[in-house]
Amino acid sequence: MSSEPAASSIFPRTDWAELGKAAEPDEARLDRLIRTYWAPLRIFLVATFPSLKDQADLLLQDFAEDKILKKGWLQRADHTRGKFRDFLKTSLRNFVLDRLSRVEFKRPPVSLDELAQEPPAAQAPSEEFDLTWVRTVLAQTLQQMEADCKNPAADQPRRGYIWEIFRIRLLEPVFNDAVPAPYEELIERFSLRSPTDASNLLLSAKRIFKAHLRRVIQQYAEQDAATAAEIQALEEFIARLAKRD
Amino acid sequence: MSEFDSAGAVFTRQPKSLAALMEGSAEQARLWRPEELGAIFRHQMSAPILVDLGGYDTAAATRLKKLSEAQSLLLKSFSDLFHHPAPPLELLELTKNFAKANMDHPASSLPNEVATTLYYASIAAALVRLDTRISRLKDADLHRGLLWTSEQPWLNEPTKQLLLQAAAKIPPPAGQGGPPS
Repeated sequence: MSSEPAASSIFPRTDWAELGKAAEPDEARLDRLIRTYWAPLRIFLVATFPSLKDQADLLLQDFAEDKILKKGWLQRADHTRGKFRDFLKTSLRNFVLDRLSRVEFKRPPVSLDELAQEPPAAQAPSEEFDLTWVRTVLAQTLQQMEADCKNPAADQPRRGYIWEIFRIRLLEPVFNDAVPAPYEELIERFSLRSPTDASNLLLSAKRIFKAHLRRVIQQYAEQDAATAAEIQALEEFIARLAKRD
Repeated sequence: MSEFDSAGAVFTRQPKSLAALMEGSAEQARLWRPEELGAIFRHQMSAPILVDLGGYDTAAATRLKKLSEAQSLLLKSFSDLFHHPAPPLELLELTKNFAKANMDHPASSLPNEVATTLYYASIAAALVRLDTRISRLKDADLHRGLLWTSEQPWLNEPTKQLLLQAAAKIPPPAGQGGPPS
């Protein structure tokens, strides 16, 4: 990621053990969501207010720190109406406009009138925002899956094999154009007892990937229906982009 | 962490790679490539019978163990079973049912081609070794299925011969060709 928050950021480092906690306080949750999706939010901010490019990181940091925003902010998101991503963008846009109108910037680089005349975010920046969002979601998913599979405390036997078979059969071929490790090699490497055993290992990997994908999206989409809809929306979006490649 | 930073790669690859990841991670996506069927079949033939059949029908596991070891037959693998001069009929029937369940199941963990071969090989072994029919398929369908399976390019020679011998014991149908129904 090119636009990570600074090392001295107030935001806590992501703690994977925290994931899945249902009753996380709004404040911590907002900090974490903004930190996680910093890159796409920055893209949106700069695309919406090009003249604020140099202040983008500072504004995002203020956005995360804003006490008023934290209070009941997530409850205000109506998950039955529109995507959380759009709600987040609107919140950020309103935050910036509000901040500028209160002249908290001593010498704003441009007038509010000028800002209001800036063209609305065109399709390309919106697409770039969504693409970066998908990348962030997938990166989170893969990081969590790898940590989960390599967790020595996990009681599922051969869990470490699950990540390895997923990596050499799917990730390396997809990302590095590598030839998938041949079946014979898998038998030796993973002590596979039968083809059913082999298939079950690979299917387990796919199921664990999907479970983590669902969990990552659930962090912001919350309800199962909204999570399923978001997964479908992201899949359709990325498939549409892939066709243009 | 592993030598390959997959999370990092997500940010540098083209959208088509991301789409391929999403598609490939779907459970219904094909697990194995067609060119791997031969290796998978060989593995299936050498796999311990108890591993697959014991998991398929746990109630039968103990009986299977006794059957497979009965009279010092030492039927450890499917290959042992199909090529034994007098394989236990119950074991062949259980193998046929296991294969059929995998053929009919959309989320089967066994490639359909391999499950189909296991299915016809168990029928063929009963026909050839025990002169017993364990299938209710019509003659024409059974004959066509045995021949179609015997023509799979990844099949090993002993299994191919077993299927052909079984097909020879079935009255030939009026018309031939096409995969089994």
